[in-house]
Amino acid sequence: MKAEQICSYIAIAAALAIMPIAVRSAEPRATSTQEQASKASTGNAQKGKLVFETLGCNKCHGSEGEGVAGSGQGGGVPRIASTSLAPPAFIQLVRKPKGVMPPFGSDRASDSDLADVYAYLQTLKTPAKQESPAAANTSNGQRLFVRYGCYECHGYLGQGSTSTGGTRIGPPQIPLSAFVSYVREPTGQMPPYTAKVVPNEDLTEIYNFLKSVPPPPPLKSIPILNQ
Amino acid sequence: MAKQKKNGIPRRDFLRNAAAGAAALAAAPALPAKQPVPERGVTPPPAMSPAAEVETPSPAEVLTADRTGSDFMVDVIKSLNIEYICSNPGSSFRGLHESVINYGGNKNPEFITCLHEESSVGMAHGYAKIEGKPLLVFAHGTVGLQHASMAVYNAYCDYVPVIVIGGNIIDATKRMPPVEWTHSVQDAAAMLRDYTKWDDLPISLPQFAESAVRAYKIAMTPPMMPVVLIADGELQENPIPPDAKLNIPSLALATPPQGDSAAVAEAARFLVAAENPVLIVDRAARTAAGMPLIIELAEALQAPVVDMGGRMNFPTRHPLNQTWRAREEIGNADVILGLELADFWGAIHSYRDQMERTSRLLTKPGAKLISISSTGLFFKSNYQNFQRYPEVNLDMAADAQATLPSLIEAVKKQLPASRKSALQDRGTRLAAAHQQTLQSARESATYAWDASPISTARMCAELWAQIKDEDWSLVSTIQFVSRWPMKLWNFDKYYQFIGGSGGYGIGYGAPSAVGAALANRKHGRVSVNIQCDGDLMYAPGVLWTAAHHRIPLLTIMHNNRAYHQEVMQVQIMADRHSRGVDRVKIGTTIDDPGIDYAKLAQGLGMYSEGPVSDPKDLGPAIHRALDVVKRGEPALVDVHTQPR
Repeated sequence: MKAEQICSYIAIAAALAIMPIAVRSAEPRATSTQEQASKASTGNAQKGKLVFETLGCNKCHGSEGEGVAGSGQGGGVPRIASTSLAPPAFIQLVRKPKGVMPPFGSDRASDSDLADVYAYLQTLKTPAKQESPAAANTSNGQRLFVRYGCYECHGYLGQGSTSTGGTRIGPPQIPLSAFVSYVREPTGQMPPYTAKVVPNEDLTEIYNFLKSVPPPPPLKSIPILNQ
Repeated sequence: MAKQKKNGIPRRDFLRNAAAGAAALAAAPALPAKQPVPERGVTPPPAMSPAAEVETPSPAEVLTADRTGSDFMVDVIKSLNIEYICSNPGSSFRGLHESVINYGGNKNPEFITCLHEESSVGMAHGYAKIEGKPLLVFAHGTVGLQHASMAVYNAYCDYVPVIVIGGNIIDATKRMPPVEWTHSVQDAAAMLRDYTKWDDLPISLPQFAESAVRAYKIAMTPPMMPVVLIADGELQENPIPPDAKLNIPSLALATPPQGDSAAVAEAARFLVAAENPVLIVDRAARTAAGMPLIIELAEALQAPVVDMGGRMNFPTRHPLNQTWRAREEIGNADVILGLELADFWGAIHSYRDQMERTSRLLTKPGAKLISISSTGLFFKSNYQNFQRYPEVNLDMAADAQATLPSLIEAVKKQLPASRKSALQDRGTRLAAAHQQTLQSARESATYAWDASPISTARMCAELWAQIKDEDWSLVSTIQFVSRWPMKLWNFDKYYQFIGGSGGYGIGYGAPSAVGAALANRKHGRVSVNIQCDGDLMYAPGVLWTAAHHRIPLLTIMHNNRAYHQEVMQVQIMADRHSRGVDRVKIGTTIDDPGIDYAKLAQGLGMYSEGPVSDPKDLGPAIHRALDVVKRGEPALVDVHTQPR
């Protein structure tokens, strides 16, 4: 089959990436800050872990909410383990986030769900991850990145492509645990890579390579991109 | 009209008799008695016989004719103002061929030598999208049409007018063995009938004239599509009968169908009342007049436009161009107007190709969907290019461009003054979002800027830097280079983009680019082709056609050394089966040895450079090649690129 039809509306499709599935709850919605605070402080951490994963919070913030210290244009992902936000502020931020995080409305997660997530996050004590690319085996990671065909959709430096739908992952803007989690069980179009195909150690080396990708030159320094 | 010199015996009767006579004269004395007769097809050529050479033809034999049916066919073709005939030569239309170059003076139409019928049709496809009218393709009625078929399918799916004339010899008693038998067919057009709009087999010259004019008219009436005429060899080569009453009908093109006035008014009501209307355009601008109409409608409504890229519909730097924010705008829309949208369903759904294929509706509940498209006026069953059934609220089976003036008028008439402020606010918001998107695209292009192989963003930026001050025309598709030109270049003229292949059949790119460049030549435009490597190798001989006919075309090879789409497809399967990805390059890559496209082009008579793999070398290489193109010649730069 000439499968170019996949690319027909690929740029549009890339923009239409599937969002994490909604979590629906029959519980009534909170109507005031007091109610939110009250519910959040009494959230169920065990349920919260389930909601955390179902909503896909771990896909960006890491399986332990550890986040990733950011640099360059991406800015990293905030650490949310043991968040210091007050419960109402936490819920408000989830409803109307700043930056690239998608909003989670009450149709996808009730206040009660978020209270459970909040309670779960308070149980996590993981420090923020600070990667050290210099110490990593980046050349082997680069070799593995090519060998496993990651470059096919993401480009040789992980720059991404709207034709393939591969997002920019060089440097990655999510923690290693979220990176591994996504590769194993992608929510979008990416095919799943099982541990049988790519062992965790290799994924770690690929991650380290991607972290080592130098930041691009400043846009202003490239005259032909300013025409 | 000149009279034929001798009446009575059709040409093929003469040829058959003459051949038999000559064979008897030459062969009979040379063959000893009882020697086995060689099988047909391996008979050695007869020895030159002085007796045969001086033999006087029978008084009944006709050796020449001043005017044949093919001359009249050329008169008909000329009446349609057809500029070119793209063709790989074939004996079943030798009469037409000779009449075009001699009787017709090889001008309007001019015979363009092609090295493959797929190239002929591909050229016609690209030409029509620039010039807005068809050119002709001549092909053998059998093997030629078989070669041409995939390119015809592309044109069919892309709603482009192409007229194909296939040669054939209908009367079996007039076929010379053996080749004319194997190259004859009962119903030549049958092999294309599933993906052409109309075909005919005229059996007289008057019928040919009517059928040719009708074919042109049908091809040019929206939805435009390829048509096929079969030209019988006897009809081409026999002298025009002295009593023939020949007439060439006049051509009056059918006006494109407009949307019903009540439906137009209702569509306007929906759009005016909408809080967040969205226009999705695909093959909406049928001619250069289409783009200003789309701009006018969008500006009247201050509505975002999402351009699917089937044609040059909307300027890339217009503040209402929200193509890169499609998901957000479609998800927020309460009314969506699709203009010649090939796949409405696909535009409003996301699709996920995992073990279980799933889709998700992107629009809000209750969003109203309006379609204006001429494609609903003509359907065929077998090939499934009509896409999934879209559940629209208002469906106008009409040509979008022809309907736009009345829709614009209705919208302007219905827009209350009280909405003015809200519309201005919407426009301001969209303009800001547009600027942010452009800036984001430029930022994205900086990633892998200095990488080797060269990133597609860098390649497209370097190309833009060289052509931006020229009167340029991008004559290739952009989907394989992450659509960077649409993000980085300033498209604001209709001829600057021609959309894609339609049928996604590989092998379209190079010939359509050469055909579009042929159309651009007389306008003095710099035609630019971003050429995929796998596509070129289907029929690279079209580069020779460009060189031979001095068609100026700058080709930049996107040489990623693979059928990359298929690399990814096989990788998906390997991942799904957890079998490892080490072997996915088997059968999908074009490497070891890598193809040297610069040498290939050079061998076909074209200026070339490359392969260029250092991004710093690319700009100067393109500049030198552009100088060649500006002198009226084609040129090629081979670039080692990243996959997409």
